[in-house]
Amino acid sequence: MQRRGFLAVSIRWLGMSLAAMLPFGAARLLAPASASAPRARPGERNYLRPPGAKQDDAAFIRACIGCGNCAEVCPPRCIRFHARDGGERANIPYIDAEARACILCGKCMEVCPTDALKITDRREVDMGIAQIDRAACYPWVDKGVCGACVSICPLGEHAIGFKMWNQYRPIVRDGCVGCGLCVEVCPHPSKPIWIVERGQGSVARHKV
Amino acid sequence: MNATQRPFRLRRHLNKLRWVSLSLVFAMLVLLPMIAVYQNYVAAHAYDLLSADEQRFYDLMERLTSPFAADPAEDLDAIKGTTWAGRFFGFKIGDPLSALGQVAASGTLYWPLLLSVLIPAVASLFLGRFFCGWICPASFLYELNTGLGVLLDRIGLRPGRRHLDRRLKYLVLAVGLGLSAATGTVLFAAIYPPAVVGRELYYAIALNGFGTGAVFFVATLLFDLLVARRGFCRYLCAGGALYSLLGRYRLLRIQRIPPACNDCTKCNVACEFGLDPMRDGFGQECNNCTACIAACPTDALEFKVAWRDQDYQGPGHLGRRYRHEHGVAEGEPTNDRENA
Repeated sequence: MQRRGFLAVSIRWLGMSLAAMLPFGAARLLAPASASAPRARPGERNYLRPPGAKQDDAAFIRACIGCGNCAEVCPPRCIRFHARDGGERANIPYIDAEARACILCGKCMEVCPTDALKITDRREVDMGIAQIDRAACYPWVDKGVCGACVSICPLGEHAIGFKMWNQYRPIVRDGCVGCGLCVEVCPHPSKPIWIVERGQGSVARHKV
Repeated sequence: MNATQRPFRLRRHLNKLRWVSLSLVFAMLVLLPMIAVYQNYVAAHAYDLLSADEQRFYDLMERLTSPFAADPAEDLDAIKGTTWAGRFFGFKIGDPLSALGQVAASGTLYWPLLLSVLIPAVASLFLGRFFCGWICPASFLYELNTGLGVLLDRIGLRPGRRHLDRRLKYLVLAVGLGLSAATGTVLFAAIYPPAVVGRELYYAIALNGFGTGAVFFVATLLFDLLVARRGFCRYLCAGGALYSLLGRYRLLRIQRIPPACNDCTKCNVACEFGLDPMRDGFGQECNNCTACIAACPTDALEFKVAWRDQDYQGPGHLGRRYRHEHGVAEGEPTNDRENA
């Protein structure tokens, strides 16, 4: 009899525990497919900190309190979070430029309660610098004319322009702050333009 | 006895007011991410490209917000964020624990952040753990969870009623600060329920579903249910520890009036934090939630301005023990509820 009582109570508790977990499981199942988990991972392409972030990533993580205000004010909702990562990155914001890029509006720097994001002029922002793969970009391999990256750039010809001899071959210039809009808009399936850290050697080649 | 015979006392209804406050805060935390999504849609200028569901959402939010905001992109930015850190009509207000954790993690003082937590910190000096009882969005869910525990009790599943050491939460605070400094992350953001609740609601509504914080929060709910009633707040919450310390010498306190008390213990049963109002045992853990005031049948509890609690003032004068000790005859006037 006692064993049966124990069994009944156990089953009831198990049922209650499962019911308690239901909201989480249901939310994961119901999450829209379009907003799936981020493709880019740390250290990979197009994986950026929000504009005005501290250059030293460890210092940025030390300063960030994970409040999420930067994302809440972001008009294009480009700021995402390491919501399901553990360790030091937990709840730290990032931008996956390939999915949705920063428009350099500056609202996140304004709302940040800590010094993780400092109010910075849009030309002084340093999220990285764009790099073009000349072996894949359509105009560079003479597979047509494009110029999407040049026309979307919010900073104009300080950041990206056309090579002088060939009007349709894009060239990244020093003024690029790495917002990633060119990455988002690039029509090439392999995205032959991406954001790297400023000072990474290969970018220097692009100077005209 | 007819309850309407008792005179109206505002303090007995403060608990309802508190529930209104908790519900409002929670509703805001649900509404703000929805507003953020709506603002994204507005900023995109592409109503026609939205799906049917998104258009319906857009229309709903437009109907809700248009009386308050002529320009959604700018005007709706007035209130942003969570109770952990947010912006309220131009003022940045944050949780004192966020500043403390950030100072521990980064080792530097960032004055704007410290300034933003000044109002809650000073308010806690005067009002004690009022945040826990009146604002905390996690408290809202924990109290509902307590109600669930009562229901479970009714169908034969006894919730846990263990007693741990209350000082455990100060250890959590100290260890959390130490670990923040050692690892260089603001650890409390991940283990402080109000921060977790606010953030996870945002993740769930505006981004791609709940994060791991939701698992942590469900675990705390189960802890409350299986181990101790309101156990997380009482024994493990780092923010609760900080607010308790700040509110140790708070000026607004609940005190018992022995001449009106009949020792019925209803206050002790009502107190979710397991304090002992009937024997004047409030202490720094009391969050001024007024549940005991609302439960008191003889209005023997009220707010006083004092920087210390009373020591035990003896049994209530309407109770049996006082009559016995002082030789008051059985026929003397007593609380009629007791004889009912």
